[in-house]
Amino acid sequence: MSAPLVLEQVELHARGRALLDGVSLRIEPGQFVVLVGPNGAGKTSILRVALGLLRPTRGAVRLGDSSIFDLSPRARAAALAWLPQQPVRDEPLTALETVAIARYRFGEANAASLVAARSALERAGAVAFAERRVTELSGGERQRVALAGLLAQEAPLLLVDEPANHLDPAQQIEAYELLGRCFEAGLGVLCVTHDVNLLVHTGAADRIRVVGLGLGRIRFELPFGAPELPRELGALFGLELRALELDGRRLILPERAAGSR
Amino acid sequence: MKTRFAILVLVSLLLLAAAAWLGTPFTGEHSQFVLWQLRVPRVLVGALVGGTLALVGAVFQAVFANPLATPCTVGTTAGATLGALAALALDLAPRVEGLPIVTLMAFAGAFGASLIVALAAAGGRARIDDVLLAGIAVTLAATALSTGIQYAADARALVAAALWSLGSLPQVGYRGVLVLLPFVVPTAIVLLGSTRGLQALAVSEELARAQGVDVPRLRMIALGVGSLGVAACVAWCGPIAFVGLIVPHLARLVLGASLRLLLPASIALGAGFLVSCDFLARFLVPSRELPVGVLTAALGAPALILLVWRRR
Repeated sequence: MSAPLVLEQVELHARGRALLDGVSLRIEPGQFVVLVGPNGAGKTSILRVALGLLRPTRGAVRLGDSSIFDLSPRARAAALAWLPQQPVRDEPLTALETVAIARYRFGEANAASLVAARSALERAGAVAFAERRVTELSGGERQRVALAGLLAQEAPLLLVDEPANHLDPAQQIEAYELLGRCFEAGLGVLCVTHDVNLLVHTGAADRIRVVGLGLGRIRFELPFGAPELPRELGALFGLELRALELDGRRLILPERAAGSR
Repeated sequence: MKTRFAILVLVSLLLLAAAAWLGTPFTGEHSQFVLWQLRVPRVLVGALVGGTLALVGAVFQAVFANPLATPCTVGTTAGATLGALAALALDLAPRVEGLPIVTLMAFAGAFGASLIVALAAAGGRARIDDVLLAGIAVTLAATALSTGIQYAADARALVAAALWSLGSLPQVGYRGVLVLLPFVVPTAIVLLGSTRGLQALAVSEELARAQGVDVPRLRMIALGVGSLGVAACVAWCGPIAFVGLIVPHLARLVLGASLRLLLPASIALGAGFLVSCDFLARFLVPSRELPVGVLTAALGAPALILLVWRRR
């Protein structure tokens, strides 16, 4: 299934507060969309709604022609894979067993799942600790196991929440290189992050769309290379930002919090 | 791990075989009768009940994502006891002939209690303790109702109910095996068949949903089928506590958290454990039959306290 995922005028209210307010978004395989915004802007809520885990108060979430809520869980899992931001519960399973869980939707023999899981661990650079229990791994190693789970589900759209969480700088670059390879292979990536500078490591920065989210509303949607991006990001985060050119790559650096001197 | 699994199953089988042959030596013309009509059926029923309770315990720990969730801590056992007591003490049906009615009533109680706890703790946002608190509340309520029913019952039914509620395995012949099999075998088949979904659920409910698991459906099936198995055991043997708590934890210590090994291992170990407890109960008080439920409760309560203490 390679249908586009479409959010239409999505509103989400919880405890009298609007978490999402008229959010419309579209992504399909072969596209790379980045969601940026300060904490509490609603980035993770958008992913939950898009996955069909949260029902929006108003608005629609569609996958191709069907509402995401009319699809069976298996059909959803065949289209969308998720890398959650929160680490999952500490079950002392091996990395291999953990990744094999992501093969649930295939309904295949356990041996086949393990083969696929090992191949996903290889691609995520985590095969060295395939047989170790995840409870004994460092935060960075666990995040790579989680990335392997994302790959093992073999969905055409990846919904990724802070993929560089818990990773050291070298691993952060590797994580974005991995997402870049997925994108080049034709997958769609919807990625939540704080740090747009890491996007150059996807090797596809010129084709990335950046969507700015503030207080549950979409504030802007720009190509990564757009000259006004630093200004818009600064307004979104309440920062004064400076763009630097370095070896033909643009870096966006915070100078000070807006209003402070 | 595979070797450890094989050893664990083998040890459990040896325990089962030993329990049938050990004990006061057989003498004279009755020895064949003692072995085949008393000991072997008793071991078989113990194995079926122990295996079922331990399996359901391991499954509930995954369903509630809580290492302390078991049929006895989330109210299933108390609910089954209430249903069965109501049938017994109110003399809805004579004890032996009316067993299906007792089982059905036990099932209604067990499923109702589990469902209340599951609903109270549903949504995935509930803290781990909420499950246990709801379980305690349901257990207290069911126990109070059970007491009320016994108070209202006549003396003859009261004695039968009181004996039954201690939890024990003694019997003559294979009736118990035949009554239990049609309930516990489907329970085991369905629960073992749900291993992969349960494994996903044990790690994270939300991620499991995103990975394609129909979580509400799986939860209903596991609770319903698990309650059915527990209800059948409770209806025949009385409430036998804590097997579902101790055994999965022992198996987990040896085998790790992978349900693919843990669930079948829990069946084997639960069978071996309960039969051994029953043997010990016969052995500790030779002249009388100490009900096995008394012994498992005496072992289980400290084990529960130890587990709570270790979680700090």
